[in-house]
Amino acid sequence: MADFEFAASGDTWGVSGPTFLRFYLTAAALLVAVAVVHRIRLISGGREGGRDPLDPQQAAYLNGGDTLAVHAALGGLRAHGAIGVGRNHQLKATGPLPAGATPLEQAIHHAAGQRARVRELRRDQWVDRALTDLREGLERRELLLSPAHRIAARRASLALLTLIAIGGVRAVLGLTNSRPVGYLMLSLVALVVVSLFLSRVPRVTRAGRQALHDMRRQHAHLAPSAAPSYPTYGAVGVSTGVALFGAASLWALDPGFAEQAEIPRQAISSGGVGSSGGDGGSGGDGGSCGGGSCGGGGCGGGCGGGCGG
Amino acid sequence: MTGDARTDRADTLAARQAELVAALVAGGPVPPGFAPAPLAAARAALLRKRAGGVARHWPLLAAALGPDWPTTFATWAADRPAHGSLRDGWDLARALRDEGTLPPLGAEELAVREAGARYDGQRPPRPRRLPAVRRVRGAVAVQLAGRVRLLRPAPRVSFDPAGRDR
Amino acid sequence: MSGPTGVGIGWRPEIAGFVAELPGLRFVEVVAEALAPSGPLPSGLTALRERGVTVVPHGVRLSLGGAEPVDPTRIEHLAAVAELVNAPLVSEHIAFVRAGGLEAGHLLPLPRSRAAVDAVCANVARARERLPVPIALEPIAALFDWPDDELDEAAFLTEILERSDALLLLDIANVYANARNRGTDPLDLLDRLPLDRVAYVHVAGGAEHGGFYHDTHTDPVPRPVLELVGELCARRRPPALLLERDGGYPPAQALRAELDALAAASGFPVVT
Repeated sequence: MADFEFAASGDTWGVSGPTFLRFYLTAAALLVAVAVVHRIRLISGGREGGRDPLDPQQAAYLNGGDTLAVHAALGGLRAHGAIGVGRNHQLKATGPLPAGATPLEQAIHHAAGQRARVRELRRDQWVDRALTDLREGLERRELLLSPAHRIAARRASLALLTLIAIGGVRAVLGLTNSRPVGYLMLSLVALVVVSLFLSRVPRVTRAGRQALHDMRRQHAHLAPSAAPSYPTYGAVGVSTGVALFGAASLWALDPGFAEQAEIPRQAISSGGVGSSGGDGGSGGDGGSCGGGSCGGGGCGGGCGGGCGG
Repeated sequence: MTGDARTDRADTLAARQAELVAALVAGGPVPPGFAPAPLAAARAALLRKRAGGVARHWPLLAAALGPDWPTTFATWAADRPAHGSLRDGWDLARALRDEGTLPPLGAEELAVREAGARYDGQRPPRPRRLPAVRRVRGAVAVQLAGRVRLLRPAPRVSFDPAGRDR
Repeated sequence: MSGPTGVGIGWRPEIAGFVAELPGLRFVEVVAEALAPSGPLPSGLTALRERGVTVVPHGVRLSLGGAEPVDPTRIEHLAAVAELVNAPLVSEHIAFVRAGGLEAGHLLPLPRSRAAVDAVCANVARARERLPVPIALEPIAALFDWPDDELDEAAFLTEILERSDALLLLDIANVYANARNRGTDPLDLLDRLPLDRVAYVHVAGGAEHGGFYHDTHTDPVPRPVLELVGELCARRRPPALLLERDGGYPPAQALRAELDALAAASGFPVVT
């Protein structure tokens, strides 16, 4: 019995707790630092990305992936009168393809001619190819994180996981040998949290997010809360509006079409006045007239010189 | 002109103006001396303008009624004084709901608004602070911390025999 | 700060992007009730102010023609907005919008009586006490006239303007609409109005409904209205003209064409 106790009070692996912890934490700190730097470099994206402006489809893809890119194209085509929706939620081509249509718009117009439904569009070969091309173009411009980069960014957290595993083994051994493992457990928890954070790799690079942000500011007049006059801004305005502010723009443009075509509606925020959804848009509509201040008939802009009652 | 006479004239002016407004928006009688045709044209123009304003605040309701929107609104609003586009649309939507003629899109819009604000039909709507769930003709909307979400769309007629194309 | 000059357009959030891109634009008008008096301004307006574009607040709900004294809060709001945008003047209408506790929802014509002149002048005086800038008054288009009017339109307007010493916001589309609906000659009115008081001019479109011409502000400007602009400029060119549109906005190309037509009719530089 005494022999056994004597053996059990020896250090795990022959290294004392505090020593191990010191080396372990140093290694972890180094690894985390390298991982963070590596990650920042990868995620910041290209400097070239900022120079050329984004076209509506690219902006849509950055903002909302395949789905939003398709919606933006639908908006542009609808504004041109090139597509409509018929029975059974099937699209139809109601006009010729506009000049200067993007490959995605061409593909969707073609699919509409085949009476596809909106939810089936992504399965269409031509549409799928156009979306892939769009994505690869954005990856080349380093506005989107390419798969290679995402894997590289994750590698750092993999290394961290190995370290955690080592620490975990030591902790388990320590527990079975009744060694104090308090600080080790705490460090492990912290490391797990850090590695979870590091393993989440965003879709869009920082350059991409900046480009979107700049574009949204430049086109603030297209936000649904400003009730933009889509005929004035044209089909490009519509695509851009959908790309930057979401499907709510499509619903604002043509609610009948949006409903029949089964375009999903985003969360409608702050029940008060407007029904604008979209990124961070909060209620508030057109004439900035909220509820009380306008009393009588109609708000702001409708009253000019009067047609005499 | 003495002060009294001026006051008298002002009172008469006030009364005459009130009569005219009542005739135009509240179904009051045509005041003496006015030709009825131009007043009728004015009344119609006012209703058109109101309809436009309400449609901006309730786009889904107006879109759902489609070509019937102007007449539906005008019939409902004819002798009802205006209370602002938001309230007008709200009152109209509730009236249609009670009649059973509220279209599904309109029901969804009403559900969202009802969940987001409290409106008693008399005073302007006030935003709700507590979470709320509202159902209108099968559409269900929920409000949490200021954001309203349509949980369940209103059921639609599955097959439209008229094949409404757009 | 000097008043508006050249060709301008009514600023509306719906076409804010379009207005922002007009290179030669020197002034806009904005509906006063659409702005919060303590700010902030909509970003489109802020950008225009930074470019040095003049912004004129246009009130629509003060009801200066009402027999009831105008609500001081409304005057305060207009004054605050004028200061917010650093306006050289403000404008409102010779009309009333509410009476007997009911809102008409639109600008209604006044009887052309001495009582009405008194009422308008009293309200304008009340407004001028609290406004930091001059006020221009706009005569409206009326589908109907009151029975037993004492004055004709020219005399009525002239008396109001001279007694209240206000500027004139001459709405040419309203002149046209009234003349057409009454069957009178619009040039008669132009000849008798105090054109030296004109601060700026409204030009807007309308449409025919049920036998009447309605000044809707949601339709294109008809040719006869543009011709009237020419007639006005031949008599005395106003300092500025404003294209006033409240809805049904057409494609940008059509709006630009209307602005160009205004410039052509008046001889002002093109703003597009």
